[in-house]
Amino acid sequence: MSHTVLVCDDAIFMRTMITDILAQAGFEIVGEAETGTQAVEKYRQLKPDLVTMDIVMPDMGGIDAVREIVKQDPDAKILMCSAMGQQALVVEAIQAGAKDFVVKPFQPSRVLEAVQRVLG
Amino acid sequence: MDLSQYAELFLAESREHLSACNQLLLEWERSPTSAEPVGGLFRAVHTIKGMAATMGYAKVADLAHRMENLLDHLRRGGRAPAEDVIQLLFRGTDALEKAVELAVQGRERDADVAAILADIDGAAAAHHAKPAAQPSALARFTIAAPEPEAPDSPSLPAAPVASAASSGSSRHVNVAIRSEAPLKGARAMLVVRKVQSLGTVDRLQPQLTAFESDDFDGRFSFELDTTRSAADIEAVIRSVGDVERVSFGGAAGDEGQVTPAESAAAGRGRHIRVDLRRLDTLMDLIGELVTERGRLNELAARWVGKDPDIDDVAIHISRLSADLQNEIIQARMTPVWQVFDRFPRLVRDVARQLGKQVSFRVEGKEIELDREILDALGDPLVHLLRNAVDHGIESPAERKRQKKNPEGEIVLAAVRERSSVAISISDDGRGIDRAQILEKAKREGILGPHVETLSDDQLLRVLARPGFSTAEAVTSVSGRGVGIDVAMTRIRALGGSVEIRTEPGKGTAFVLRLPVTLAIVRALIAAVGLERYALPLTYVAETVEFGTVPLTTMEGRDAIVLRDRVVPLVDLRKLLETNGGAPPPPPRRPVIVLEMGERRAGIVVDGMLSQQEIVVKGFDAPQGTLPVFSGATIMGDGVPALILDAAGLV
Repeated sequence: MSHTVLVCDDAIFMRTMITDILAQAGFEIVGEAETGTQAVEKYRQLKPDLVTMDIVMPDMGGIDAVREIVKQDPDAKILMCSAMGQQALVVEAIQAGAKDFVVKPFQPSRVLEAVQRVLG
Repeated sequence: MDLSQYAELFLAESREHLSACNQLLLEWERSPTSAEPVGGLFRAVHTIKGMAATMGYAKVADLAHRMENLLDHLRRGGRAPAEDVIQLLFRGTDALEKAVELAVQGRERDADVAAILADIDGAAAAHHAKPAAQPSALARFTIAAPEPEAPDSPSLPAAPVASAASSGSSRHVNVAIRSEAPLKGARAMLVVRKVQSLGTVDRLQPQLTAFESDDFDGRFSFELDTTRSAADIEAVIRSVGDVERVSFGGAAGDEGQVTPAESAAAGRGRHIRVDLRRLDTLMDLIGELVTERGRLNELAARWVGKDPDIDDVAIHISRLSADLQNEIIQARMTPVWQVFDRFPRLVRDVARQLGKQVSFRVEGKEIELDREILDALGDPLVHLLRNAVDHGIESPAERKRQKKNPEGEIVLAAVRERSSVAISISDDGRGIDRAQILEKAKREGILGPHVETLSDDQLLRVLARPGFSTAEAVTSVSGRGVGIDVAMTRIRALGGSVEIRTEPGKGTAFVLRLPVTLAIVRALIAAVGLERYALPLTYVAETVEFGTVPLTTMEGRDAIVLRDRVVPLVDLRKLLETNGGAPPPPPRRPVIVLEMGERRAGIVVDGMLSQQEIVVKGFDAPQGTLPVFSGATIMGDGVPALILDAAGLV
């Protein structure tokens, strides 16, 4: 059975791209969220195997969303999606419980490697 | 990976964020002490940066990055921005917009950003906020989870996973992250988290705060108290990825600066994006379905005697296709703010340029129109708004003399009327000088010498004549772009109408009335010889038969007298200079009376064929075509027919 994924990013552009990369690799995208609040809510509903999480989102940022999700499920597998220059934020996200990260611009091979590490 | 497929999505979403930037800048300019605009601006520019980097648009990403940097300093500084900084950000937004458009066209090289980059960097340096002003994310974390027994080594948070028994030996571990790996500090942090699942981590070198620095070179060491073998430890560390080397025994370290965390703000609506062409195709298909539905109904009427069930099926299909049609029309509806949102910036810029003070208000932003109508409305509105600022609103000094508020007001309002939307542009300026316009119109021979006053309707007709302008009033602002005649032609091509109201000293209002949707309209199909023409029913007042009503002439034109009113006639055969491929017309020809506001005209045709729903298609008229067509449609038999523009005929 393919792994289920929740894609969280406020940009449709980014969600589309991540979805394409993962779907082509055989993952099943079960949901999308464009704010941290939605991410937490959808995680609760969908219990996906993997979450991709943008850092800068309106309403509730990605790091706070990681904290909330890990509070619900300490085993949650969250992959941070970061831009260059966000090192401090990614470090914070990892402290909050994120399992790995990829850096924009995304290279599909690196995204898939990170996903394998997180799920492996 | 083929990125071209994402270009359109990139463009659409970037435009949305750039429009948001303009809105936020205006908001910030109005209330400089508000903290919200800068957060939103930061987020919008940041999103554009990430998307542009992904598309490989280096210049766009770089410009966005530098703007983001400046915004970050401003945000952290927490002070109200100086006027020139807002100006700079407006310019930056414009430059970013231009770069985005060029990049998508494959012409990113042509984007000239050197000057704006220098200005942005200069401003960023001037606003550089001291990082010490706010504790780093890590510092906050450390304060929240202190480790009292190790005061001079960095405190590490406990792993969420239960630690393995840590009564084994202590090992000194050195790790190097690959030099080409991005965010080496974050990768190192992952290693630390991972080995915490094996035992207790101590004496981390360099300290955790160094991991947050972009200067971190990827080499670090720590003491690990664990029962696991070296091979196990190495395997666990390597599983994190991007690990160059793991060794046991040694040390190194330094310290770096830190950047604080992001904040988040307002939410956005939920929607999916559909290519407009897809909706156009759906609309076309529905149009064909509507046409076939008409034929099915005819057939059903003939066959109903043989099998009454066919009538039920025909009625059902009719209802379903009507519902489907309605849904697609709804899907094309777009709130006017999508076009109106750029106007506050425009009005502000024009007012500044002309030294006027203008407060601009938009009402009815949520009113919806068909996407195609809305898109075509942009240019005419720009023209009318420029005009309002330039010719309508007086200078602050003159307004004071008139005992008016030195700040003029312009209101752009959308209101839903029955089957149309009225969009008004009103100002509280000087109004249009009728006497001046009248005199000029007489001088140019547009009006006869006997005319003494201009009604609103006449005034508009004079103003809308191609090339008519009160030369002394042309400025760099309204001299540009489309003239009022072009604006009116566009509105009429959309099946709309224009009204003007003006009062000296009080102001001027233009009211544009537009159909809510132009995709499908009910029309009267008329024949000239073997040719067919469609007349939208919206403007058909009645039909009469030529010869049954009294004939007269009006200003040298044939006319009929209809209930004591003289209605001028337009003979379609003569107007179009066609005999429609058929012999002379029948003696008793029908007259279709069109009505638009106060104006009427009777259109003489050979015959009336039917009333039906037609799908309006855009129409690029060849040069020299009479300005009486507003579009074309495809008839049930696949033959195209032209749609007559009521506004061009009356």
